[in-house]
Amino acid sequence: MASRKEGSGAAGGGFGSAKGKGKAAAAGDSAVKQVQIDGLVVLKIIKHYQEEGQGNEVVQGVLLGLVVDDRLEITNCFPFPQHTEDDADFDEVQYQMEMMRSLRHVNIDHLHVGWYQSTYYGSFVTRALLDSQFSYQHAIEESVVLIYDPIKTAQGSLSLKAYRLTPKLMEVCKEKDFSPEALKKANIAYENMFEEVPIVIKNSYLINVMLWELEKKSAVADRHELLSLASSNHLGKSLQLLMDRVDEMSQDIVKYNTYLRNVSKQQQQKHQQRRQQENIQRQSRGEPPLPEEDINKLFKPPQPPPRMESLLIAGQINTYCQNIKEFNAQNLGKLFMAQALQDYNN
Amino acid sequence: MSKMGVKPREFGLKPRELGVKKPQFGVKPREFGVGTCVCFSAQCPAGCLCRCPCPCRCPCRCRCPCPCPCRCRCRCPPVAVAAMSRFFTTGSDSESESSASGDETAPKAAGGPYSKPLLLSEDEEDTKRVVRSARDKRYEELTNLIRSIRNAMKIRDVSRCLEEFELLGRAWAKAKGVVDREGVPRFYLRILADLEDYLNELWEDKEGKKKMNKNNAKALSSLRQKLRKYNRDYEGQIAAYRQNPEQSDEDEEKSRRDSEGSGSSSGAEDDAGNFLKRRERDEPRSRYKESESEPESESDEDWGDSASESDSESDEDDGKFTSLASKFLKKDEERRGAERRREEKAKKKLERKSRREEEEEEEEGGEWEKVKGGVPLIKEKPKMFAKGTEITVGLVMKKLNEILQARGKKGTDRAAQIELLQHLVAVAHEHQLGVPLELKIKFNIVASLYDYNPNLAAYMKAELWQRCLGCIEELLELLFAHPEIFVGENVLEESENLSNPEQPFRVRGCVLTLVERMDEEFTKIMQNTDPHSQEYVEHLKDEARVCGIIGRLQRYLQAKGSPEELCRVYLLRVLHTYYKFDYAAARRRQVRPRPQVSPGPQVSPGPQVSPGPQVSPDPQEKEKEDEEKEKQEEEEEEEDSEALMERLCRFVYAKDRTDRIRTCAILCHIYHHALHSRWYRARDLMLMSHLQDNIQHADPPVQILYNRTMVQLGICAFRQGLIKDAHNALLDIQSSGRAKELLGQGLLLRSLQERNAEQEKVEKRRQVPFHMHVNLELLECVYLVAAMLLEIPYMAAHEFDARRRMISKQFHHQLRVGERQPLLGPPESMREHVVAASKAMKTGDWRRCHRFVVNEKMNGKVWDLFPEADQVRAMLVRKIQEESLRTYLFTYSSVYDSISMETLAAMFELDLPTVHGIISKMIINEELMASLDQPTATVMMHRTEPTATQNLALQLAEKLGNLVENNERVLDQRQGAYGGYFRDQKDGGYRKGDGYLRRGGFRQERGNY
Repeated sequence: MASRKEGSGAAGGGFGSAKGKGKAAAAGDSAVKQVQIDGLVVLKIIKHYQEEGQGNEVVQGVLLGLVVDDRLEITNCFPFPQHTEDDADFDEVQYQMEMMRSLRHVNIDHLHVGWYQSTYYGSFVTRALLDSQFSYQHAIEESVVLIYDPIKTAQGSLSLKAYRLTPKLMEVCKEKDFSPEALKKANIAYENMFEEVPIVIKNSYLINVMLWELEKKSAVADRHELLSLASSNHLGKSLQLLMDRVDEMSQDIVKYNTYLRNVSKQQQQKHQQRRQQENIQRQSRGEPPLPEEDINKLFKPPQPPPRMESLLIAGQINTYCQNIKEFNAQNLGKLFMAQALQDYNN
Repeated sequence: MSKMGVKPREFGLKPRELGVKKPQFGVKPREFGVGTCVCFSAQCPAGCLCRCPCPCRCPCRCRCPCPCPCRCRCRCPPVAVAAMSRFFTTGSDSESESSASGDETAPKAAGGPYSKPLLLSEDEEDTKRVVRSARDKRYEELTNLIRSIRNAMKIRDVSRCLEEFELLGRAWAKAKGVVDREGVPRFYLRILADLEDYLNELWEDKEGKKKMNKNNAKALSSLRQKLRKYNRDYEGQIAAYRQNPEQSDEDEEKSRRDSEGSGSSSGAEDDAGNFLKRRERDEPRSRYKESESEPESESDEDWGDSASESDSESDEDDGKFTSLASKFLKKDEERRGAERRREEKAKKKLERKSRREEEEEEEEGGEWEKVKGGVPLIKEKPKMFAKGTEITVGLVMKKLNEILQARGKKGTDRAAQIELLQHLVAVAHEHQLGVPLELKIKFNIVASLYDYNPNLAAYMKAELWQRCLGCIEELLELLFAHPEIFVGENVLEESENLSNPEQPFRVRGCVLTLVERMDEEFTKIMQNTDPHSQEYVEHLKDEARVCGIIGRLQRYLQAKGSPEELCRVYLLRVLHTYYKFDYAAARRRQVRPRPQVSPGPQVSPGPQVSPGPQVSPDPQEKEKEDEEKEKQEEEEEEEDSEALMERLCRFVYAKDRTDRIRTCAILCHIYHHALHSRWYRARDLMLMSHLQDNIQHADPPVQILYNRTMVQLGICAFRQGLIKDAHNALLDIQSSGRAKELLGQGLLLRSLQERNAEQEKVEKRRQVPFHMHVNLELLECVYLVAAMLLEIPYMAAHEFDARRRMISKQFHHQLRVGERQPLLGPPESMREHVVAASKAMKTGDWRRCHRFVVNEKMNGKVWDLFPEADQVRAMLVRKIQEESLRTYLFTYSSVYDSISMETLAAMFELDLPTVHGIISKMIINEELMASLDQPTATVMMHRTEPTATQNLALQLAEKLGNLVENNERVLDQRQGAYGGYFRDQKDGGYRKGDGYLRRGGFRQERGNY
């Protein structure tokens, strides 16, 4: 299925790359304009999930490839082994280095260009992802994260997306300051935390030829996942997750609200007023006013809650909403089609 | 015992050996002082003089030797005159000494054979009285102390030495006056010198010092220092004494002889003195230095014995005679053994003793007086009623006042005071001074009995309590016998009339207060007894007596008391009645079948779903019937506790002016109603009293009573099948998780930070005695089952409701605990049973639910505790069936298009009308989207229930509403003063429904800006 789609994708990719070449230096804000993925990589990722992931467990792996102008070409990948309780002392870095060295020996691209991760109903906008992507992007500027949604894929359309952190968010993460003010200054909102990089899946011509051949042999009747009308389960799950996030958001807001209230309460507190009055008196007597800082030292202002969490939640909610919207649009279409079919049959 | 009785005689044959023992006579009287029989309660079964109130527990420590069957060892001659009573002690003294060591002052009592010859005096009837000089008294004290110091020295008990030495110092200071007049007595110097030598010796003995225990070592050094300092004052005299110890000894003996024998005939005295001197020269001071000398070794033994014995005994209460007796027996044997050993040794001594006896017989007079002179307590008695004086009311009153004045003072021996008062009563009685006087004194006896424990927290000892009960009973008897006497607490001391028969007798005192106090003490005793011991049962038996007393008091006051007093005594009675289930009445009721509806159908089928408001019509009728019935019963049987409560409480409601008594009475009344399953009356009374509104202003004991009543009310509602009411009544108590504390049935384990020792004491005092407890497990079970019956259908009905509220947090907690269990075995505890039953009910499986709620284990733990257990079980089954049906319909209605009511009736073993009723009700309340199809008797489901997705969407919408709400608050904060936009929004438009959420603090805050 994936391979079928990819034929047209590859063509589009070709145009994109041609366009990108000229702008590479000028863009500056992002090193990568396009991601070109080898068919092999896609299949490997899908296989990895089929074999190891189930339910809401997540599989991860390393992407290998190289940068050509502003295009990131991902030519290979390998999975991280699943963690078990037994091998707690397993050294991931060591494993990665070993793998890459081995791959190099067989003359495969061995440059580390990012990582991939499966997701469960699109719930990937998390702190963990943010942190690891930040460290990737910090170390290897062009790295991307590929998000593979197995559930959507099972419904008939391959879902694979490449994300990068925006330069703004990179700045903020470098500062490690997630206070409301800092985020405000950086002008970060949930919309501009991640940027999606267009993906092009490209196969060698030989593979394309083979696929064409295969298509002739295979029966179209087998492929009807796309037309399945059983949707309530997926929708229910999504709604449930969305609700959880909304609850979290709510709590977060309450927390923030409490903080604001505490701040305003403290500002109103009497000692401060007293100090001000005293200062006024002193001024009238011609003495220098007492500094106000020491009061703030005495009564520490409450710690502002970090806002990054709520940003992430908002991002996540956004993702869910997109998913649901997309899903519903498709389903509605299907339902109308089904109705029309029914009418026609009757 | 008998052995003891014999022994002195055999000693009596022994030859005397005067020389050594003489000096010790001076010591003895003190012990007699304690041993003197002071109780005089005119009850000695042997009719002897001593009047010790045995046969069981002689409260006095006299051990006077009259031949009564008890262990008090009285053996004094039954011929006696009252006036002589203070002398009979002389008869007993030898005995008390031979029986020894039972006394607190045992070490002295064990003076051993020295005193035995005195036994001879038992036959003498010497009535001469001795007036002792201050000098004698002081010297006696000193010699006593010196003697105990010497004893301590002998057993190397330095710490004791130190104690005694300090006492000696004090006594010496007291005796200063005498000493100033007469100079320092020799014996005093001698002890100082001896002690110094002794200490030096010990000090030098490094080995010994090492072996010494810590206490002694410490005492040794401090004593040494003290003594050195002390002796500095008497340096010269001591030096003089050291130079000539013989001489001084002699002198001292002489002087002491003089002091002891003062007032006796001089001739005999001289003889004795000479003899003494002779003896002393024969055995010069050997006893202090060489312990090998024969008589000494013997006495040594005795000392050892008694010293160890006295230690343990002095710890014990004076009342514990049984254990003492066993000790005596043991001691007896020991003594016998020792005797045998001694016999051979003492042959010579025997000879001497007999000689001495002879001599003593000659100088009997002198001997007598010596002993008597030493009884310090005896002094009080002569004061109490001097011999020969005519005892009049005035005199006794004076004496009474005298005794009472000592009350509460620091040094007063409270036990002795009680004895004195009892003595006084006896005297008053004997002299026929009139009932009023006796009454007066008896009032005071009871009062001082209460005074015995200075500490409010401490409780009375059982025997004191028994005496107190006895006294009060006597008092009441007197009062009943003489109704003409006016007793009142308002009678002034001056206006009392105790003797003048022309005018009405007036006595100050209040029986009611005494009885109230007694009741309090009873509660205290019950609080402080281990409820699982036999002792508790024993104490509980007294409850009947207490009730009896209260009943009599009630009758007395009904005749003469004021309404206030009556209210108080009624309250007492009520407090003793309300918590007892009247089995007799219940049985009677069963025998005579009620004319009204029998308890089974009483559980009306319809209103059970929400029994609260619907119950009104028929219960009222029932109630009326009930009332009529009760009126009849009231007339028929007085003793029916219900009628009794009714009568007492009515009186209190009408007459009481203090709010507290009325509140208590109402609560008790409600409790009693509830206990006897008269739910509607109980509930109405509770609602009418409006106690719920103002109970928080009451004092803690009343609040505890209120809690108890609420709990009982809840249990009663449960028994009646009024589940919702039961749940509501129990909710407050159970949800706090502190039911134990709230009901005053025990303290929660809490850290001391939350509650200091003082608070803990106060809380302990509030505890309800065990026999009045409400069973906590029963309580919890009733609550949980009620919660289950309410909550499970509710949960089923609101499965998708985001706004679902919990009816009972505690029940949910239990459910969660059950869910958390990794492995679910068959239920063991009551809670597990309820949880398992709930799970069964969730799926509508009423049979399993029923099995879990009503089974062997649960019967034993809970249900059998109800008086009408079977009735309750029947009610439970029915409830479970109904609620299971409801749950089933809620849970599975979406599966059905239609369902036959007959099938349902068969499934839940309910009759068709009931099923019909339940379903109709559900439909009316819009809990079930369905309609009834009459002809086919089926329920048609309407399927208006939202689908799962719709439900989710609804929930999401709600949550989003919350989110928006919260977000706006943040915005409010930001914008502060200009909140107008939201205010407009609030009134109209989209958030109408949620408007109530924005209230309280947040709006006020806005005002602050």
